[in-house]
Amino acid sequence: MDLTPIWLTLKLAAITTMILLIIGLPLAYWLSKGRSIIKIILEAIITMPLVLPPSVLGFYLLMAFSPKHGIGGWLHNTFDIQLVFSFQGLILASAIYSMPFMIGPIKSALQQLPLSLSQASYTLGKSERETFIKILLPNIRASVLTAAILTFAHTLGEFGVVLMIGGNIPGVTRVASIAVYDSVENMDYASANAYSLILFCVTFIMVISVFVFNKYKAKSPLE
Amino acid sequence: MKIKAAFLIAVFFLFATITSSAQELKVAVAANLQGVIRVLGKDFKQKTGIDIQPIVGSSGNLSAQIKNGAPFDLFLSADMTFTESLFKEGFGTKEPAVYAYGSLIICSTQNIGFENWERLLLSGRVKKIAIANPSIAPYGKAAEEALKLKGVLSDIQSKIVTGESIAQVNTYITTGTVDVGFTTRALIKDAGKTTIYWKEIDPKSYTPIKQGMIILKQSKESANALKFYEYMLSPAAKTILKEYGYGV
Repeated sequence: MDLTPIWLTLKLAAITTMILLIIGLPLAYWLSKGRSIIKIILEAIITMPLVLPPSVLGFYLLMAFSPKHGIGGWLHNTFDIQLVFSFQGLILASAIYSMPFMIGPIKSALQQLPLSLSQASYTLGKSERETFIKILLPNIRASVLTAAILTFAHTLGEFGVVLMIGGNIPGVTRVASIAVYDSVENMDYASANAYSLILFCVTFIMVISVFVFNKYKAKSPLE
Repeated sequence: MKIKAAFLIAVFFLFATITSSAQELKVAVAANLQGVIRVLGKDFKQKTGIDIQPIVGSSGNLSAQIKNGAPFDLFLSADMTFTESLFKEGFGTKEPAVYAYGSLIICSTQNIGFENWERLLLSGRVKKIAIANPSIAPYGKAAEEALKLKGVLSDIQSKIVTGESIAQVNTYITTGTVDVGFTTRALIKDAGKTTIYWKEIDPKSYTPIKQGMIILKQSKESANALKFYEYMLSPAAKTILKEYGYGV
């Protein structure tokens, strides 16, 4: 059995999680403060990949980044970047697809913190940035970890989007979930079983660890 | 801190590269060739040292992927329509060529007798019939033509299960999910230990499945791609294709 799809999947999930941590922390913080029309719309867009069929997302990304069309054509002609059927494209798609799993837990954890916590910090003359990093973040550490693990696990489970914009290119876009599909298509049930078993075990461990980090309290991903 | 550790792991993955051999061709392959392409690839590697990386799918899907910029070097289609349209739209380096003629069979994992297969399909013994999606898989189109010619297509419509590609049809057949299926003769060899009962469909009842190939312009390995193109037309490749039931 070829282990490349497994490595590719882990690499994709790790990079996606890292990118989403960088984007997600400030974004979730901003969303957690008050409400406005823009915030509601933005949060809706971020949450939509949860309910939108992956094929819809895949289709629009394919149209947007195909070298034949608008943005994709511009990227291709100006920078020689091609996002469809490439690993970079998968990273972008995964970031969009898994974003609700990063933003959701962090945002609600921030909202549940007592307001007096940050107010005390401001009174003592600390800036907003310092308060966020030194006071708020340490208090929601478990939620951040939960969010990171869920993002990682969800990226492992990606299939439809990858199939549509990544194709099935060995070593580039054939991630483990696609490798399962490809093995079944090739009637190679032994490989399909091996890939599936690895994915099953990895995701099981990840979900268990989420429960453990939340002090044995089962929480829904968006809570 | 745990988060820092996760970051370091992520950075490690970012820079860890996936090794690939220096000389390899990415070949988009119509699903009916999924077994034989490995044999052909091995033989080609022995002769030239160049690795063949097959990407298997339905001809229609692969051709759509090529039009949207998929980085393949060569495309072995299940018909000439897709390759010719790619050539006309400027995706090929030279005119497509026919490398094999496909043959359609009706088959099952049960020994249910195919002497009078059109009557069998109508009977209660057959509940599900698998064919490939006629709009993207040439073998599906051929099956539809044959069924139409026998005048049974509309009567069995409710029994038909459509596979994404001939590979999916083969999965349905070999796992016994469907009672019978229309597929490529190559399945008989691909199925391995699974016993398949089959009958060839009269080649006169469908438009000949002329399987065409094309070298793609976006290929960065055009010299090697040409070598494989020529190999596919060589006697060595023809012998292997014949073994799998293809006309050459």
